Amino acid sequence: MNIAQQIYRIFAGRILASIGFAVLIIVVLAAVFAPLLAPFDPLDIDPISRLQEPSLEHLFGTDQFGRDTYSRAIYGARMAVIIGAGSVAFALLTGGLIGMLSAYFSRLGSFLMRGVDVMMAFPALLLALVLMTLLERSVVNTIIVIGIVYAATTARILFGMTLKLKGGVFIDAAICSGAGHASILFRHILPNLLSPLLVQATFIFAFAQLQAAALDFLGLGLPPEVPSWGNMLAESRIYITRASWLLIFPGMLIIFSVFSMNLVGDALRDTMDPRFKDDIAGV
Amino acid sequence: MALLEVEDLEVSLKSGRDLLKVVDGISFTIEQGETLGIVGESGCGKSLTALATMGLLGGTPIRVTGGRILFEGQDLSLLTPNQRRMIMGNQMAMIFQEPMTSLNPVYRVGDQIIEALQQHETLSQKQARDRAIELLALVRIPDPKNRINSFPHQLSGGMRQRVMIAMALACDPKLLIADEPTTALDVTVQSQILDLIVDLQKQTGMAVILISHDLGVIAETCNKVAVMYRGKVIEAADADDLFAHLRHPYTRGLLDSIPVADKEVEHLNAIKGRVPTLEEAIEGCTFNPRCPNVQQKCLSSYPSVAAFERGHEVRCHFPLEGNE
Repeated sequence: MNIAQQIYRIFAGRILASIGFAVLIIVVLAAVFAPLLAPFDPLDIDPISRLQEPSLEHLFGTDQFGRDTYSRAIYGARMAVIIGAGSVAFALLTGGLIGMLSAYFSRLGSFLMRGVDVMMAFPALLLALVLMTLLERSVVNTIIVIGIVYAATTARILFGMTLKLKGGVFIDAAICSGAGHASILFRHILPNLLSPLLVQATFIFAFAQLQAAALDFLGLGLPPEVPSWGNMLAESRIYITRASWLLIFPGMLIIFSVFSMNLVGDALRDTMDPRFKDDIAGV
Repeated sequence: MALLEVEDLEVSLKSGRDLLKVVDGISFTIEQGETLGIVGESGCGKSLTALATMGLLGGTPIRVTGGRILFEGQDLSLLTPNQRRMIMGNQMAMIFQEPMTSLNPVYRVGDQIIEALQQHETLSQKQARDRAIELLALVRIPDPKNRINSFPHQLSGGMRQRVMIAMALACDPKLLIADEPTTALDVTVQSQILDLIVDLQKQTGMAVILISHDLGVIAETCNKVAVMYRGKVIEAADADDLFAHLRHPYTRGLLDSIPVADKEVEHLNAIKGRVPTLEEAIEGCTFNPRCPNVQQKCLSSYPSVAAFERGHEVRCHFPLEGNE
């Protein structure tokens, strides 16, 4: 089955999920082609035309420095995708490895998983806040911090699943044919985990954006000059009565992209792995 | 030198502080080309003997606590994990009870056979694929050229067991351990699989250890039989000899409990009682609570091995006279 057919199978008959998928594609396209789509430089300051209402020239209006909100929103999509994809990659790589190795080598696991338990004891945002206060504000650090938060949940999920798979007879059969640890872990166990991993990735992608927006808003996320939806909200919140468009547009963008991602995640979960429905209930 | 020599093998289950002996000092040998049948009720330790031989007890609370397993004169417990991997699959292979779960659900069956092949031999992808098709044909899977692309869930239980056999035979092992290979299959498929194993053995000259709880299956396929009860071999003999001269009341009971197809029976002759659990300590012969011929001596001392002609050995104080 090729990818187009797979996608059709997932979204056929699911209207909401299809809309979500479409929104997602738009966000990704906006992120990739931001320099072409944005009419202005997102950092270009123009004090004369500041706090202008949405117009044909400035679709989403301008902010307190006269920067074009529409252009900033498009570049914000780029940051959203970078943060989302980065956090997913970080969380799945570290969390996935920790979970799989912990389940496979039980001694190592009894040690590592206690660490994971400690991480899980903190509320996600609190943990991210604590880590962010220790680090400099930058794109990479934001990705790492959000990645760490979700690595713990990923580790927990993969730990359980690997434990279950490890006891399977086909693993014994693999040992019998002379397979070593690496081959068992990565050739026999990992492929069985791909669909839950993919579903997990969609949820992390969505939650990472929320988390990043929250950090930005509290002034602990991306550096203030970076045009991200969270930063846009944070900077212009004092103008809410004078120039509400400054908050409405980035706010709506966050809501729609996160909601879309969740819809896509739900659809993926339902089609790809109904068996694991209970295991991945919410991150 | 025997191909596989098991000497006084002891396998114990760690339960709290106690060590419960599940396999209690069993010994057997098997030569190239022989078929050894190990038979016994559930929980008598026959599967654990197989798992211990293949070194599959890792991650369980069960350990080999005594005895030696020699493969071609080499003590398997002294090998490094890497040396052991060189033997696994290449020299000795195993097929399992559950064909439904013993194949990896995410790989095409062909790829699983190819992987087993490439584990020990350097073959190009094309060569490995051709060999995999040959193997599927060998285990009599129709249309192997297309079946090689099937996923396990697209195959029936019998077909999957055939694929398992093909995987096990991939590198021409000298010893094949088949742990109840037909238990999960229905009767017609059972006999096909057994015939297949016997035929393949004749073709390749490998030795086979067939584990079963079905004396009928053993009688059809094996030339040596070991009957196990509660972790010990209580009767061992050549198959012809065993069925001609049954010596142990337990073996007698097992044979009597097989229904005869062309006779009307009111009820099956079962061996009364059940296999005692490991925690139950039994004075004397462990079979005494269930034995029809139990006598005073059986309650006090465990019988040692009594040897009869042609290597027929039995652990019983009062062996049967030995006729049908």
